[in-house]
This record gives sequence, C-alpha cells and structure tokens, in this order.
Amino acid sequence: MEIVSCPSGDIRKGDYIIIRDIALNRSLVVQVMNVGYANIPGILEDILRESSLENIEGRENDFLGIQAFADIIKDAKILRCKIRRAIIKGRLSHDISWTPSRSTSQLVTITDKAFLKLIGTPTTHAITLGTTKEGEDVNINLSTIDGKLNIITGKKGTGKSHLSKLLVSNLVRKGGICVVFDVNGEYINIGYDENNEKTQLYDKIHVITPGKNFQVTLQYTGLGVFLRIISSVLDLPENSAWEIRRIWLKLMDNQALTLTNLREAIDHVTNNYVRDALIRRFDSLMSTGLFTDNPRISATLEEYFYKAKKGGGLIINLKGLPSSFRQIIVEFMLSKMSTLLNNWIIRALFLFAEEAHLYLRKTYWEDIVTRMRHLGIFSTFITNQPDSISESIYRQADNIFLFNFTNENDLSTVSKATMVDVETVNVITKELPPRHCLVLGKVTNDFPLIVEVKPLKAKVMGQTRLFFSTIQPIGAQ
Amino acid sequence: MEVHEFDTMIPTDLVNIGNQSLTRTYTHTFPSRHLNMQLLRTFESEPLSPSRIAEQFVETLRLDGAGNEVSVYGLDTSNIDLGETEQGILCAIRGCVVWRDTKEYQYSRHGPFIFHITEQNKQYLFDSLRQTCFNQHESIEAPPLENMGDHIRNILERWLQKQLCESCQNSLLLWDGSLMSPSVNRPITPLMTLLNIARRERNVILAFSKKTSLTAMGHRMNTLVNDKDVPCLLDIDNIIQLQYGKRLRFLGKVYIAKFSRGTLSFRLDLDRRLSQCEGRFAAEDLLRSDLIVNSYPESLRLAHILSRFSAGEVIAMKRYITLHHSLRIVPQPDVRQILFGPYGGA
Repeated sequence: MEIVSCPSGDIRKGDYIIIRDIALNRSLVVQVMNVGYANIPGILEDILRESSLENIEGRENDFLGIQAFADIIKDAKILRCKIRRAIIKGRLSHDISWTPSRSTSQLVTITDKAFLKLIGTPTTHAITLGTTKEGEDVNINLSTIDGKLNIITGKKGTGKSHLSKLLVSNLVRKGGICVVFDVNGEYINIGYDENNEKTQLYDKIHVITPGKNFQVTLQYTGLGVFLRIISSVLDLPENSAWEIRRIWLKLMDNQALTLTNLREAIDHVTNNYVRDALIRRFDSLMSTGLFTDNPRISATLEEYFYKAKKGGGLIINLKGLPSSFRQIIVEFMLSKMSTLLNNWIIRALFLFAEEAHLYLRKTYWEDIVTRMRHLGIFSTFITNQPDSISESIYRQADNIFLFNFTNENDLSTVSKATMVDVETVNVITKELPPRHCLVLGKVTNDFPLIVEVKPLKAKVMGQTRLFFSTIQPIGAQ
Repeated sequence: MEVHEFDTMIPTDLVNIGNQSLTRTYTHTFPSRHLNMQLLRTFESEPLSPSRIAEQFVETLRLDGAGNEVSVYGLDTSNIDLGETEQGILCAIRGCVVWRDTKEYQYSRHGPFIFHITEQNKQYLFDSLRQTCFNQHESIEAPPLENMGDHIRNILERWLQKQLCESCQNSLLLWDGSLMSPSVNRPITPLMTLLNIARRERNVILAFSKKTSLTAMGHRMNTLVNDKDVPCLLDIDNIIQLQYGKRLRFLGKVYIAKFSRGTLSFRLDLDRRLSQCEGRFAAEDLLRSDLIVNSYPESLRLAHILSRFSAGEVIAMKRYITLHHSLRIVPQPDVRQILFGPYGGA
C-alpha cells in the first residue's frame, strides 16, 4: 500500500500508521516499509531551476507565503507500507481482505504509546525490553517468552549479547531459572554493576566452571549420559560402546565404579581395536577435568538448581575450552538437565545458547528444540552467523530479535525463514542502528516493532578488546 | 529608491484586491465584450527574396566591443490559470527583476498574487488595479474573463517597469516584448509615460521579443540576418512601418538583434526618440555589460525563469486557496481525452 504524505512529518521506516475508513467504520494498521519522495509533476524542474539559481542572491516578496506551501509539496513523501492488521469494531482483526477508500479515508499517525496500547503490551508480569523511537517503554509479558523458542541474531557489535543479558537478568529477577552456555565468559560478571559493585542479582548468579568448581563422579553421571557423550561427541563405534556398557554395569554390580577401576577394566579388554578406542575416549574425558572420584569435591547440578529455585542464573563458563571439551560439557549438562526435568526435580528452565554451533552439531539443536521443548527447556539462540541455525529452527521460532545485518547472504538466510515477509527484514534490519532491534513474534503480538534495547546496569564483559583503546578517535572530546 | 527596495513599494492594494477577489462575491453584472483578436493580416505585395529585402530596406549596424559598462536590469512577468470555480477563474501573477551588480546577478521577485476573477468582479478588479498602479481613474471596459489573467499580469508588468524607470539612472532596462501598442490589451498611455520617465532618468529601454508575428514582406525576420556580421543590429524599422504603420503604433524603432553566432536572433525595440547611432551604442553597452547567450541577455533570461510558475507552485497555490479561502476548484473534464483517448494528439 502506498500513501502520499504531505506535509510529510517525521515518519520513518518501521513506524505505524492507521488508515481509517469512516464510511466502513474500519481501520487498517499499516507499517511503513520505505519512505521516498513523491513524484509530483514539475518537481524535477523546480529542483533544477533552484540549483541553477543558487548562486544568485535574491529577495522574495512572497506576500502570501506560497513558498512555504511549495516547500511542503516539494517534500511530499510516498510511504510504502505493509498492512499488519485491521481494527474492526474497536478490536484487532486479521481480516485485511478489504481496501479502504483512498479519497475519504483518514490517515492517523499513531503515537508509540497508543500503538503499544493497541497491540496490548502488558503492565503486569512484564519486563522492559527497551524503548520505542518516542521513548516509550516496550514491556513484554513473560508468558510470551515462557515455553517459547527465541532467536537473537545480527552482525557483531550490534548488541545481541546485551539483549541476551538483559533477558537473563530480568528472567532471574522475576524468579526464572536460566542456564547460559557462555562461550566467551561474558555473563560471569552479570551480578556486578558498572562500578564493579555487587547487585541484587549477585546472589542469584552461579558460575559453573567445569573442571574447576564443578566436577562430577561417574555414578552421578550415569551410564546413559556417559554413553551419549562418548558416542555422539567422541564418535565411539557401536561395538566399543557395547563393551564399555558391559564394563560399566559390571563395576556397578561390584560397587566399584571409579575412574581408576574403569581405566583398569578398559586395559583388560582383549580386542586391541576396541581397547585402543576406549582408551582414547577415556583419556579425552579425563582431560576435561569434569570427572572425579573424590566425593568431597564432586558436585551435582541439583545443588545449583536448588540454589536457583527462587530464580537464578547458572552460567556455564566455557571460555577458553577446546571445542571437544565444550561439546562434552554441553552434552553432559543437557543430558543431566533432561533427566532432572523428566523427573520433575525442576519445572522448566530458560536456556541461552550463544554461538551454539561452536559446541553442538546443527542437527542436534533441532532435536533439542523439538524434544526438550516438551520437557521444559525453552531455548534462546544467540548468533552472528544466521546460517549456523537451520531453517527448521527459524520456522519453529516464536520470537526473533533481529539486529543490524548488512550482508546480503545473512539477510537472505534470515528473511527466508522468519515469520514475516522478506521485504520487512531486508528493508528495516539493514538500517538499524546499534542497540536497536526489530522484534518479531509473540512478544509484540506479531507486530514487527523496532526497539532500542534498554541499557544494562551490569559489568560489561562482551566488549571487543582493542589494541588502540587508549587512542582517542578523531573528533572525540 | 533602490531596486531591491521594491517590496516596500508594492501597493498593498495588489495583495488586498487579490484577497478581496477571493473572498467577496458580487451581485451586479457587467455586459461582456468580445474583442477582435485578429489584429494582423498578412501583408500582400509582390514577392521579394530575403536578400533583396535586406539590400533594399534593411540597414545592418555592426557592433563592436567599444560599449560602456552600465547597469542592466531585466524584467519579466508571468501569469497562470490555476483552475475554474463555479463562479469564475483563478489566476496567479508574478514578476521578477534581475540585475547585474559587480558581475554577479541579483533578483527581486514579486508575488505570486492570486485573483479570483468572475464576471461580477472583473470590472472592479480591472479598474482598481489600474487605479492603484497607474492612478488611472477613468473606467475602461474590462476584457473577457478568459483574458483577464493576461491583463492583470500586464498591469503588474507595467507597474514594475514604472518602478524601474523611476528608480534607475543611466541604465539599460531590458523588457520582454515590444514597444508597440497593438491593441486595447496594451493601453498606450502607460507605455508612453514609461518611455518619458526612462528618458528623463537617462535610461534606455530595450524590449526583446522572443517571438514576433511581424514579417518582412512575408519573410520571417530571422531569415534577413546571417552570421557574417555578428554581433549586429538590423534596422528594419522602415519596412515594418511600411507594412504595419497604419494599423499599429510603434513607440520604438524595430531592429533585429543578433549578438552571437547561431540560429537565434530576436526582435529588438528601442525608443523611437533614440537615433540609430544611440540605439547602436545602447546595444554595444549591453554587449559589454551583460552576459549574452544565444543572442539573448542573461539578466532577461533569468527574469523569465524566475517569474515562471512551476507545477509544484501551482499545486502550492491551490492548496493555499483551499486552506485560506475555502474555494473549490471545479475539475474540468478533458474533452479531448474523453473523445479521442490516446489518439487525441497534443
């Protein structure tokens, strides 16, 4: 839908306008996709004439003030809009099959406050995501994240991790349990403010550094989790898996399941190939430092979840770990969490996976999304490589937070899979400034909305480290 | 009074009269009058070739670069029909003076002034404007409604010309058009008055016609001049007097001006009281004092460009009228389009 706007006013891409057809007593809610100058006959002549005369000094005796009108007309804009919803009998409706009159319809610019009221943003059980262009708070209802699959994507340095931290801290404050796979150690100081002072969150944030403050016994790990790790992460062949299973059960029967005994039993495997395969996997597992035989230093996830039962964040610190270690740890965590959820030890949790492709296979995440969602793991993927998330995950996503993308391939990946049209993604996300995102999905009642993400009063760890950080940029005060 | 102070001299009545026309309605009517617009007829005579005409009747005055640098003022006005209302027509006029000061051009633009002309108010408008601008109190029958825009523009033009004549000294005043009084359209008295004032202030009026209907024994004027004598003036006054003298009153001597090589030459009228030599000097002064492009003075070209209305300005004026005077422009059906569709031609 194209709208001629004269005078044009400050209408930008992403803004909403209401087209009110008085005769039909209906309105359309449209979103501005593009703003261009109206092609009014003779305007080009005007511009050329003015440019050829710009060096001539002159005096205008325009007694009627016509020039002001001419300037308004010269600046008339064409707004290319997408119809988002209709308002019929005062209620939002999906019936947009009708067309308003173009001669009698009224154009109503809607304030952000009125728009947020229209789309029904909550006032209770809400967290503040950020602000609109006019500075109105964008509150999102927790229920629109609860049980949902979210994706936060955008190019690097646009504010993805910032939003993710904001969601984590707000969910924790509201009593939610969040588990974060923290690849870069960005979340470990989320309990501190900018001045390195402890905040209210401090006691609710629990940093788990596998191999350091988190080690587990084989018994706690359990055969199922152990087999899953060595099979799916360490690619143990099926025959060898059967052998280790046999050894494990025998040691269990003898109540002698320890790392030392397990290694010794592996050494006694008669088949050379199987023995060598098992030794290599065992050594890999041991080198993670995740496992211990010492019950005094061993820990359990249950302890952490217990600490977080009234809201807390479990930050799994994967910083500096080799890729295979990360995979082992993540596999362990996910398997254990599934068990805990299955046994109703915890009710549900919010999982934040930053750059998930670095520690789990793409196909595995699809499995998590479909399977664990029913268990109560509600994932949020954060990535600057949109093609690292498979199309099927995009299609299942309930909410997408899109930050700036300029790369055509990235845009094409995102736009193919998102719940809104290609044009919306292409036009808006290309021009989003840093810390601004296009929110798509349930959180905004399926109205694409540009939000400036709220500043986070926490110690920021995700900033890019600069070599010339002490040198003032040109023009800086 | 300086040219750039014209705005203080614009009779506020011009604005007020326009506004009154947009707001008042008149109940009394005036009988309409039909003008015979066909003023000129082809001069019938034995055919002569352009070269023979040039030899026998035309004198070529070659111009050199010995002219003096003087002030040059170009003046032009324009009018446009904005549309029709149920009572009459809406038109706008605008005028512009451009002058060259220390090699740089400056301008003073006046208007637009908007008028709502109806059969009821056209006489009032015509009389009031003439009275305001020229202090002419006797009533002259107003022209037909469809020609009123041209006449109101002409009044503004004459008024601006008068201001120029009075406020400038020893200058060249470039007008668009001729120094001819061909019809009732152009009252003779104001033009004579203007020439008198110009003479008094030692100004020279040079009136350039972009188009002329005058011919030299059936031949177009630009066929009489060639590039070899450029820059030059062709004195064709005798032949023009011979052909049209009985029907038209020429207050200026008629020349053809060709100031630069190329296809273009223009009719130039110079005050009849100026001798041929003085006329040549004025042209040489112009060549020295103004930029000449395609034989046409730049200051006059700029005045023309600045006074013309663009499509955007027309829309702006319609918006102004709707907002301030609630006048509704009645859309007129395009009869040609309805009847002939795409085969209607231009």
